[in-house]
Amino acid sequence: MSAIDRNNVRVKGAGERAMVFAHGFGCDQNMWRHVAPAFEATFRTVLFDNVGAGNSDLGAYDPGKYASLSGYAEDLIEIIRELDMSGTVLVGHSVSAMIGILASLRAPELFSALVLVGPSPRYIDDGDYHGGFTADQIEELLEFLAENPMAWSQAMAPAIIGNPDRPELGEELTESFCRTDPAIALGFARATFTSDNRDDLPKVTTRTLILQCSDDIIAPEAVGRYVHDHIAHSELVLLQATGHCPNLSAPAEVISAVQAFV
Amino acid sequence: MDLAPADDFQDLFEDAPCGYVITDPDGRIVRVNATFSGWIGFAAEGLLGKRLRDLLTVPGRIFYETNFAPLLRLQGGFEEVALDVSTAGGGKLPVLVNARERRDAAGAVLAIRIVFVRAGDRRSYERDLLGREAVATQSLRDEKATSELREQFIAVLGHDLRNPLASIVGAARLLRRELQSDKALRVLDLMEASVDRMAGLIDDVMDFARGRLGSGIGLNRTVGHLEPVLRQVVAELEAGQPSRVIVSDFDVPAPISFDAGRIAQLMSNLVGNALTYGDPKQPVRLHASTTPGRLELWVANAGEPIPEAAMERLFQPFFRGDVRPSQQGLGLGLHIASEIAKAHGGVLQVRSDRTETRFTFTMPIA
Repeated sequence: MSAIDRNNVRVKGAGERAMVFAHGFGCDQNMWRHVAPAFEATFRTVLFDNVGAGNSDLGAYDPGKYASLSGYAEDLIEIIRELDMSGTVLVGHSVSAMIGILASLRAPELFSALVLVGPSPRYIDDGDYHGGFTADQIEELLEFLAENPMAWSQAMAPAIIGNPDRPELGEELTESFCRTDPAIALGFARATFTSDNRDDLPKVTTRTLILQCSDDIIAPEAVGRYVHDHIAHSELVLLQATGHCPNLSAPAEVISAVQAFV
Repeated sequence: MDLAPADDFQDLFEDAPCGYVITDPDGRIVRVNATFSGWIGFAAEGLLGKRLRDLLTVPGRIFYETNFAPLLRLQGGFEEVALDVSTAGGGKLPVLVNARERRDAAGAVLAIRIVFVRAGDRRSYERDLLGREAVATQSLRDEKATSELREQFIAVLGHDLRNPLASIVGAARLLRRELQSDKALRVLDLMEASVDRMAGLIDDVMDFARGRLGSGIGLNRTVGHLEPVLRQVVAELEAGQPSRVIVSDFDVPAPISFDAGRIAQLMSNLVGNALTYGDPKQPVRLHASTTPGRLELWVANAGEPIPEAAMERLFQPFFRGDVRPSQQGLGLGLHIASEIAKAHGGVLQVRSDRTETRFTFTMPIA
């Protein structure tokens, strides 16, 4: 199966350059629905679902390959190569910021710029480094996910919630957002929250923009500054947006920051 | 007591049988009902200004921020999300959460309304179910491994039993070549009959083990005439029981593709059963005919019908009806016959009533 089918790749827009949007743990390419369209006039936009999320091919899930973020980085490289693109702008949210970094180290020619939205090279505290969580808390998270399949059933097939205020969601409400297979999501959570990519940051040579939210418990501001300090050609922008998903809560702010950078 | 509508609504909010939390668009709590603050042991005033995530355990917080905060934004709400709320006493309150955004005409979020329902019993039940599922899966896996081992053992045993049997056959032949008393010849006849019977039992066991081990019953199909194969089976069985009458009615003029040995085995099992279980005073009837694309073969006998309860398990291995001690077998005959039918793409069926018991084998033919 091609990477394009496997990862449910959607290409839109027109332009010389391509912008690839990568979603993080917990959702699918819908994460970018309020951001990506703003770039369709000037870029070819590429959206995809990580294996296990959205409409990706669940059969392609290989627990060994996806036990670490490098398995996801391989997929990202394959997608861009299959589309015959190079010099793309990669916009990676959350864990996909690190996945993007890994892909850029392995295949630098595919990327001309990296936009990291809420990146974290390590979620677990380690000596002077404050990732935001203790090892026990992450272990507790993994146990919670393993023990709590009902917590996922909602995510897999969210009930349709009538929302007359937002007709633009119209038909699409019959499709569920952020579908995820519980067993795969547990594996992805483990790969994400136990990762440590601090050593990879200084190796990055691609120019990089870091978008840091206020009041983000998943990737706190200190972590964003750490990433900024360790990537040579990086720029840090602090967003007004709160929480971990500015692409949904403050798309306009994200769009203008990215436009200013590219 | 009459309540003014406003009081009644106030009460419905504060003392509802579920927890209510209302937040501003930014997710900060602006109102909490008495039920919820009572559950978690924090005064309502102390909760104002906090975020929903501040009330959750750390895993719940990560899970909420990565999975459900996006969902709330994307679809304007979510339902039946299982989370744990931290209580003032340091404990966990398992809850199910529904949430919905309230938006103005322009689409801007005005507030988020969140409802909590306690789910402690349900959660522990689910956890218990998961544990049981894990145990059941493991024991099924163990059971499968054991039964595969057992079947491999049967296959090896069956194979190894053939060698001593071959020695006995050889020895009997050797003795026959020499001058023997009448009594010794009778004993040799009995010995050889016993050897045949035992060889048949071993074949059944081997077929069964092969079928179970996944290779199924292998076929060696050739194109040829069916009738001579059937007549041979009838002749052998008649010779064994000369007092019984077997009435045959065969009409299969054109050659068909089948495994002659296997079909003979199937027929022999069916006719053998009919002779064993049928009314000895009545004939056993055999029929074979074709319609376009289909072969039909049946064996019928009169006598006591097969009990209703036995019908369902008839084709399962090691199933035996009520038999006299002299008719002991392994209970594999019908199972193997039905496997042979399946291997030919066909099916073996049974009908049994006061009039007759009839086993019908049908298979597709080119």
